[in-house]
Amino acid sequence: MDAAADLTPLLSAVAGGDRIALRAIYERQSTRLFGVANAILRDRDAAADALQDAFLRIAHRAHQFDASRGAPEAWLAAIVRYAALDMARARGREIPSDDPALGDQPVEPEALERVSADAEGRRLRNCLATLEERNRRGIVLAFVHGLSHAQIAAKMELPLGTVKAWIRRGLLRLRECLT
Amino acid sequence: MIPASLTPEEREALAAEYVLGTLEAREAQAVAAALDSDAALAEAVAEWEARLAPLIALAPPEAPPPGLWDRIAAALDPTPTRAPAPAKRPWWAGLRDPWRMGAIGGTALAAGLAAFILLRPEPEPRLMTVLLSERDQPAWLVEADGGGLRLASVNPRPAPEGRALQLWALPQGATAPTSLGLIPAEGRINVAPTTIRPSPGMLIEITVEPPGGSPIGRPTGPILFIGRLSPAAGT
Repeated sequence: MDAAADLTPLLSAVAGGDRIALRAIYERQSTRLFGVANAILRDRDAAADALQDAFLRIAHRAHQFDASRGAPEAWLAAIVRYAALDMARARGREIPSDDPALGDQPVEPEALERVSADAEGRRLRNCLATLEERNRRGIVLAFVHGLSHAQIAAKMELPLGTVKAWIRRGLLRLRECLT
Repeated sequence: MIPASLTPEEREALAAEYVLGTLEAREAQAVAAALDSDAALAEAVAEWEARLAPLIALAPPEAPPPGLWDRIAAALDPTPTRAPAPAKRPWWAGLRDPWRMGAIGGTALAAGLAAFILLRPEPEPRLMTVLLSERDQPAWLVEADGGGLRLASVNPRPAPEGRALQLWALPQGATAPTSLGLIPAEGRINVAPTTIRPSPGMLIEITVEPPGGSPIGRPTGPILFIGRLSPAAGT
């Protein structure tokens, strides 16, 4: 099944106000998207609130989706991430970050195998593998788990300024590598 | 506001950290607000989204709580989207306002009340609804209980003089409601599982009937309260 081919016409229908199409998107994507929100919030109630916010945003912004600029899955997930990040910020990011399953293991290049195996996924994986482990880990903790600079610094037992600089440097090297 | 004094490198870093999620609330809001009018910034953000998108796969998929879609639908649209649709003229036709008030208000309120009412942990989300008065005050709590249904008055209020209050349930897809019995003066009633098995989306309503109940097995009087069973949030 080609999910992208499936979701794109559904998003156009949602842009025209079609609630059944929105529900079809929910049914196809809610497990994946709830996982995205819960990875950031680590609280199912908060993640449900974030997913609700996200679906309201999806309903109102579906007309902005442009299939020539990216996959519908990525567009949907970006909206969910921003909704979850807004909620994490509103809660002062007072979200447990001492979960032992949460990034205490180094993010080895092999651990990134779950990153999608398509061409973009492979390129990102290869580029992440060229970064120092601490940069790679900081980027994953922030992007996937919504940790702030301060939380990452606490987790890695490093000064805040150092972490900020490393992450920024890691991002710029990633961009060079992907260009 | 994004400061105009930022160098191109700083703007690029701002876009990257916005997408990464590490900006503070004020900075993130400023970037989000600027995206509509600042095409270059929007472009930089879109590029970073595309670069990092494959990482989304690292979040383990997890099923959302049941009932979340109903909450989304209710938040999107203040009119009911899943009203049962029998072929014939429904018996509750003409009673749209109480229906809407009870079904939607009740669902939203149920989410809030559930935290206070449900003290015992339940392995499954408990089905419940709160029936509201015409002033949107909680009037009755209806909960699935022990396979059956339990109704309790929150704000006791007697039946109109010389009349009775009768409780009804309409499972989704059914065309006729089932009588759950007359509501006694003390405002509590337990309905055995043999009479009704609570199911998500089931409509619950209270009508005014002659003493002894409706003579025809269907509601004859006005609906005073109505709500729809849904899984309680947070369980």
